[in-house]
Amino acid sequence: MTSLLEARQVSRVFGTGLLNKTGTLAVDGVSLVIKEDRPSITAIAGESGSGKTTLARLLLGMIQPTKGEILYKGRSLTSMDRQGREEFRRQVQAIFQDPYESYNPVYKVDQVLTLPLRKFRLTHSKEQTHQRMEESLRMAGLRPEETLGRYPHQLSGGQRQRIMVARALLLNPRIILADEPVSMVDASLRATILESLVKLKRDLGISLVYITHDLTTAYQVSQNIYILYRGSVAELGSVEEVIKHPRHPYTRLLVSSIPLPDPDIRWGGGSEMDTKSATGTAHVDDAKGCKFVSRCPFAMAECRHAPPPLYRTEDDRAVACYLYKDHPTVSGGEMAESFASA
Amino acid sequence: MASNPAPNSTEPVLVVRDLSVTYRTPAGPVRAVNGVSFSLRPGERLGLVGESGSGKTTTALSLMRLLQTSAVIEGGQVLLGGVDLLQLSEEDMREARFAEIALIPQGAMNSLNPMMKVGEQLRDTIRAHRAGSNAKATADTDARIQRALESVELRATVVNSYPHELSGGMKQRVCIAMGILLNPKVIIADEPTSALDVVVQRQVMETLRKVQEALGAAVILVGHDMGLMAQFVDRIGVMYGGKLAEVGPVRGIIKDPLHPYAQLLIKSLPNLETKENFRGIPGLTPSLLNPPSGCMFHPRCPQAMPRCATDVPALVEIKTDRWVSCLLYEGSPS
Repeated sequence: MTSLLEARQVSRVFGTGLLNKTGTLAVDGVSLVIKEDRPSITAIAGESGSGKTTLARLLLGMIQPTKGEILYKGRSLTSMDRQGREEFRRQVQAIFQDPYESYNPVYKVDQVLTLPLRKFRLTHSKEQTHQRMEESLRMAGLRPEETLGRYPHQLSGGQRQRIMVARALLLNPRIILADEPVSMVDASLRATILESLVKLKRDLGISLVYITHDLTTAYQVSQNIYILYRGSVAELGSVEEVIKHPRHPYTRLLVSSIPLPDPDIRWGGGSEMDTKSATGTAHVDDAKGCKFVSRCPFAMAECRHAPPPLYRTEDDRAVACYLYKDHPTVSGGEMAESFASA
Repeated sequence: MASNPAPNSTEPVLVVRDLSVTYRTPAGPVRAVNGVSFSLRPGERLGLVGESGSGKTTTALSLMRLLQTSAVIEGGQVLLGGVDLLQLSEEDMREARFAEIALIPQGAMNSLNPMMKVGEQLRDTIRAHRAGSNAKATADTDARIQRALESVELRATVVNSYPHELSGGMKQRVCIAMGILLNPKVIIADEPTSALDVVVQRQVMETLRKVQEALGAAVILVGHDMGLMAQFVDRIGVMYGGKLAEVGPVRGIIKDPLHPYAQLLIKSLPNLETKENFRGIPGLTPSLLNPPSGCMFHPRCPQAMPRCATDVPALVEIKTDRWVSCLLYEGSPS
C-alpha cells in the first residue's frame, strides 16, 4: 500500500538573506501521509501563523521545502520528470479561501472552467468541453443552466465557491487541497459546500486535505487531523480523539475557545487553560524547547530545554508534549503512516 | 403596526422605529433595510444576525449615521434617550458619536491610522468632543486614555506604538478602548473579532463584556457567527432581506426558533455532536433590486402557504418577548 501524497519531515524557512540571517521557520519538520487505497479527509488545523497555508503550498509544489521532501506516488516532486510533474499537477488540485480573487470580473465564469481543460488538452471539441464542464458543475451541486454564461458578480458567493470545486473536478483529481474553503461563506451556505466536499470523497473517491482554523467544521468533515502550532505538529490523530478528548495543552485551549452555538455551554467552561496573549511565528533561533512553553499552564523545566517528541498516547493519536512522556515515542512519519492506514 | 420588540420592565435606552434605508445603485434602488424596529434596554447585549445582504451592517451604520453617500435613510426614527438621532444636525450628530453611541467597525483594527501613534488617535477622539487645550484638559485626557487602556487590559505604553507594532488582538483592544473613551450609552460592534483567531477572539470578547458591564452600556453585536452570539448576547434579532424575521431571548431563538428561516439557520449550524450532518438552507438570498412579493423568505420557505407570496407579514409579539414576522403565527395570542 503506497501513499498517494506524503510530506517527509518538511521544513520551510522564509526570509533568510543578507539582512535577516535567521529567517522565519514557517513549517518545522512536518510529516503527513495521504493513502492511495481508501479516500479520506485529513484536516490540518491551526491559527494564523501556524504554518498551515505554507504546508498546503508545499504539498501543492508551489514552493520548495528548505528541508525534507514532498512525494507523490512515492516519487519526490523535485526529481520528477516532466510527465510525472504534469500528472501531479492534474491529479492534485486546490480550492482556495477567497473565490472572488480567482475570477476575472470582465470574463464570464465559463473561462475559469475552460482554461484548465485547454491547458491540459483534455477535451478535443467544443461539445466535449461543454459536456465536461456541465458534468463537473453538477458534481459540485450546481445547475449548469444557472451558472454558465454568467459573470462572477451575477452569482452568489456560494455558487462562486462551488464553481471552484467544479474547476478542481474537471481534471479528475485524486486529491483536492481545500484551504479555508468556507471561511468567507455565510452559515447557511457553509453546510451546503462542506456537504459537496464530503460527497467528493464518498461518491468520487477523491481524498481531501481540509485546511482550516475552524475545529467545528474540521470535526464535521474529516477523519484525521493534524493540529499545527507555530509550524510544528502539536497533536495528530483521529478527529474523534483529538477534538472530543484533546490532550495537548494547546489543543485543549483551542477546543475550549470554540464559541458553541449553545448558551447553556459556557465559553471556555471547565477549562483550566489560561489565555495568555499573542500567537506568532517562530524564529529559527528561539526554537530550543517546546514552542508553546510561554503560554502553557503546565510548563515544566524540561519543556524549555528540547522540543518534545511525539508520544503515542493511543493507537490513533500522538501528542508532542512532555506531559505524556510515560507513553512510547513515535516518529511523525511513522504515526502519520499508521493512522492514515487505520 | 407599532411593533417594538422591547420588554416593558425598564425604559429602553435606544428605540429604533420603522427604519428604512435605500442604496442608489446604477441598476436601481436597493432597499437594504426595510422597516426595522427594535429597542435596547440599558446594559443589554443584543445580537443582529443575518447573511451578507440581510441589512445588519446597514442597520448598524444607520444608527451612527455613518452610511456611504449612496445610501439614503428613507424613514424611521432612532431614539436615543428620547432624542431622534436622524433629526440631529450634522454638528450635533458628530457630538453624539462616541459620547452617546460608539462604533467598533468591521475589521476595526484596519481602521486605525497607520501613520499615527495609538495615543494620538485616542487623544483625537477626545479632542473632537472637548474644547480647550490647557494643561488641565490635557491631564484629564491622558488620565481618561490610561483608564480606557487599562480596562481593555493593554499596557499604558501602547500609546507610543504605531498600529503595525501591535498584534491583531491588541489593535482590536485599542478600537474597543476608543469606543469606550467617552462613556457612551450604546456600543455598536460590527463583527469585531472576525479577523482574529479563536483564542484571541475569546479574550477580546471577554474584555468587551467586562468593559461594557463596568460602563453599564448597551451593546449591539452585529455578525453571522451564531456561536459568538450564543456566548455573548442576551437577545438576538435575526435579519433576512432587510427585515427582522424574529427577535427574542438568545436561549429561545437557539433552542426553539419560531420563524422558518431562523429554524433552518439554527439547524444548519455545525456542532461537535454529529458528523457529516449538513443541512444548508436551499435556495438563494433574495435579490434586493428585485425583491420577492409578500414575505421575503417565501421562495425558500419549506412551510410557505399561497398567501405568503402576496401578504407581507408584520413583526408581532406572539408570546412574551418573542417577536416573529411570519404568517404561520398570525392569530397567535399576543
